[in-house]
Amino acid sequence: MQVTWTIGGPQGMGVDTSATLFGNIVCSAGFRIYGEREYHSNIKGRHSFFKIVFSEGNVRSMVRATDILATFEPQTIFEHFTEVRKFVIYDKAAESTDIEKANFMEPELRKEAATFLTARGYGTTAGEAVRYMTDRGVKAVPVSYRQLLTEISRNIKLPYTVIDRSRNTVAVSASCALLGISKDSVLNMIRSTFRNESFAQLNLHAAEAGYSILKKEFDLPGVSVSSHRVLVDGNTLSALGKMYGGLRFQSYYPITPASDESTYIEANQILGEGPDADGIIVIQTEDEISAINMAIGSALTGARSATATSGPGFSLMSEGLSWAGMNEVPLVVTNYVRGGPSTGLPTRSGQEDLQFALHAGHGEFPRIVLASCDVEEVFGDAAWAMNLAEKYQTPVVHLIEKALANAFVTIDEERLSIPDYRIERGRISRETGILHRFANEGDGISPRVFLGQGSIFYTGDEHNDRGHMREYSSNRIAMYEKRMKKLDTADREIPAERRVQSYGSADAGNIILSWGSTRGVLLDALDILNKEKTECRLVQIKMFSPFPAEQVSRLLEGGKMIIAVENNYSAQGAAYVRERTGISTSNEILKFNGMPMFLEEVVDALRLVVEKNERRVILNG
Amino acid sequence: MSLPVSGVHTLHGRAIAFASGIKIANPELTVIVNVGDGDGLGIGVGHFVSAGRRNLDITVLVHNNGVYGLTKGQASPTLKLGERTKSLPKPNINSGINPIALALTSGYTFVARAYSFDTKGEAEIIRAAVKHRGSSFVDILQPCPTYNDINTKEWFDKRVYKADMDGEVKDEPDQQEKIIAAIRKSYEWDEKIPVGVFYRNELVPPFQERIRGNVPSYPGRHPANSVIEKDGIPTTSVSKLIAAKRVI
Ligand SMILES: Cc1ncc(C[n+]2csc(CCOP(=O)(O)OP(=O)(O)O)c2C)c(N)n1
Ligand SMILES: [Mg+2]
Repeated sequence: MQVTWTIGGPQGMGVDTSATLFGNIVCSAGFRIYGEREYHSNIKGRHSFFKIVFSEGNVRSMVRATDILATFEPQTIFEHFTEVRKFVIYDKAAESTDIEKANFMEPELRKEAATFLTARGYGTTAGEAVRYMTDRGVKAVPVSYRQLLTEISRNIKLPYTVIDRSRNTVAVSASCALLGISKDSVLNMIRSTFRNESFAQLNLHAAEAGYSILKKEFDLPGVSVSSHRVLVDGNTLSALGKMYGGLRFQSYYPITPASDESTYIEANQILGEGPDADGIIVIQTEDEISAINMAIGSALTGARSATATSGPGFSLMSEGLSWAGMNEVPLVVTNYVRGGPSTGLPTRSGQEDLQFALHAGHGEFPRIVLASCDVEEVFGDAAWAMNLAEKYQTPVVHLIEKALANAFVTIDEERLSIPDYRIERGRISRETGILHRFANEGDGISPRVFLGQGSIFYTGDEHNDRGHMREYSSNRIAMYEKRMKKLDTADREIPAERRVQSYGSADAGNIILSWGSTRGVLLDALDILNKEKTECRLVQIKMFSPFPAEQVSRLLEGGKMIIAVENNYSAQGAAYVRERTGISTSNEILKFNGMPMFLEEVVDALRLVVEKNERRVILNG
Repeated sequence: MSLPVSGVHTLHGRAIAFASGIKIANPELTVIVNVGDGDGLGIGVGHFVSAGRRNLDITVLVHNNGVYGLTKGQASPTLKLGERTKSLPKPNINSGINPIALALTSGYTFVARAYSFDTKGEAEIIRAAVKHRGSSFVDILQPCPTYNDINTKEWFDKRVYKADMDGEVKDEPDQQEKIIAAIRKSYEWDEKIPVGVFYRNELVPPFQERIRGNVPSYPGRHPANSVIEKDGIPTTSVSKLIAAKRVI
């Protein structure tokens, strides 16, 4: 059984905390969750929400419809009333609030919602939006938050403004009652969440009050879990993967949604116990230009080095990336992808920077570009990236979409140990004296030496094997070919099955071609469609450079339709496939409004495409 | 014979960033940054300021000729307002910055000026700068015979003099006074141009010490000498951190 629960509220009002609380409670009851955090580029006031899909089985995709909408102020009602299927918990006192008063809503969106309501014969108050829902079978649960919390304030010595902030706990607890999750597990989770005694007391009271509002209405299956599970997001897994992969230096300049990774590493920078424990040095730099170039400098000393950024920062890093390519520097750039161009949709997701990642930087140089396809995979990919950089002595760009960075998922703990992972440092020379850093050994990979080991030269100009500037033609050709050669070597060595995967029956006539974060939702869509005989299979690309051209060509063979599904405007992945294989897609399903793809809309769009041969479907969920 | 010296010819403006990464990752290395005035004080001025804030133990030598020599003599950030060097189509429309004052207010703890035709004096200052614990800066005045026909050797020879400056900070309360005195001195320019050490302060904790505050094994253990694997198996364990995320 799958349930979707959404909580929303103004930023700075504890939406995240309450969603984490709810997520932890649900997970400790044995369910698996897929939670998505949506927020504005704003510190306080604007609408943020957290949507959690949970089930006793695996959850791979986001859905639009929400079974329970938990709110404690009117704006969330106006933002979400068309999505609710079963229950809405709301503030009774907000019933008379008109949508005009939802100050933080974008005015056009306010108008859209108002028009939507009036066109269907409803007024424009929160109460009317609730009536819209109840007319469609939703059960409304009015809560008198103020009254309820005023009563609590008699027993707790905290100012009312502080007490009022526990509205979200009331909503969480009421939701748990509705779901039939035991009160004890709610109270226990509150005790372990709030370390501060008076906050714990306050929230315990709020939870008691919330729990008594509702009775069980869901029949969740009982689940028993025998092994440990963790709840993590993509940011944390990238950090952990890099750390496991031997990261010792990370430089960064703050940017959403990348900085959380670096702050996590810094918070946990000491590796082991005692005064001799090694550390990971994390430097907040003056800008992204400095971030990449410091990481390059560090990499030249032999330390595994990386930086993490997002679109605007990655733009600033282009010149450094090019230098790293020219000088064969092992460098990992974790590029969190959000909506562009410019600052675009700074807190939303997208797949707009694939072609940019493949081409950023002037001149031609080998690079490795990979994109994680789900949250769990981020861990292994991040550790892998650390190896690839040193093995091939070239920059690696690891793309992680915001939809993965800020998604919280339940993962079996054992799946985060990769027992066969080995650190591969590639070709290293321990020679001293005069060093030939760029010696040609045939496969494009030279013996790497570290600054301090002997006499080495690096320059961004074309150079000879000692790193001295040289422009004469035969050297230029030899060095150019040597550098580019390593991409062939990497292509030969990295198994194609790790770079592209195929799902579904090989004789399904229609092929979905996609990459990155869309995999989960597409697999769920396939399950639904294949029951209806809308037969499709999925070809999902993870690594674009070195590009597994042969394997992709083979997998795309015999497709009646090849349908590109991507979170961008121009189907960039499909365009690259066409460039490298000559195979074109016949149809496109695209979404570029900053939201991840929702299962319902993907299924509908695929039906439209397969049954009606719709060429291009733009999703707006 | 080879000197145990390596060189990294970086990107225009970014040498300080590269150098910082090198020095932080391997504090055993002595790191000297050579940049032009356009490079260090124009395109890379953000890094120049930040290096001062960190007081990282590197030496920044700015070869100051008032022009962008390599690109055929455009005005550099140190050329004064209204001056028109040889290849400028119009007089300089920007004011010149004061590199000494900029370094002082950015936090450099060794700030000096040298003159390239006084090679002995220059060598002495550079030696002191490299020995200094913390970020050191030397503004090296040098004529550009090709493009700067204003600040020529003759022009400098007439003005440059060795100033006896008392810029050494001996105790903390001293600090502000010394900086202010050094800034005042740095505005002496048109008639007489002082060279020498304007300011020196070893009381400010260098960046390495600040890092040690967070990572006690640093700088003894540092990114470049850290052992990350044993027979390929990572030495870094993240299992505790993962377990901290347990929900069941
Ligand atoms: C990003 C970038 N922009 C422009 C250039 C071209 N460029 C090379 S050197 C230089 C100016 C050098 O001036 P300065 O640093 O004062 O050194 P000088 O030649 O005077 O010694 C410029 C603009 C470049 N290499 N990189
Ligand atoms: Mg110059």
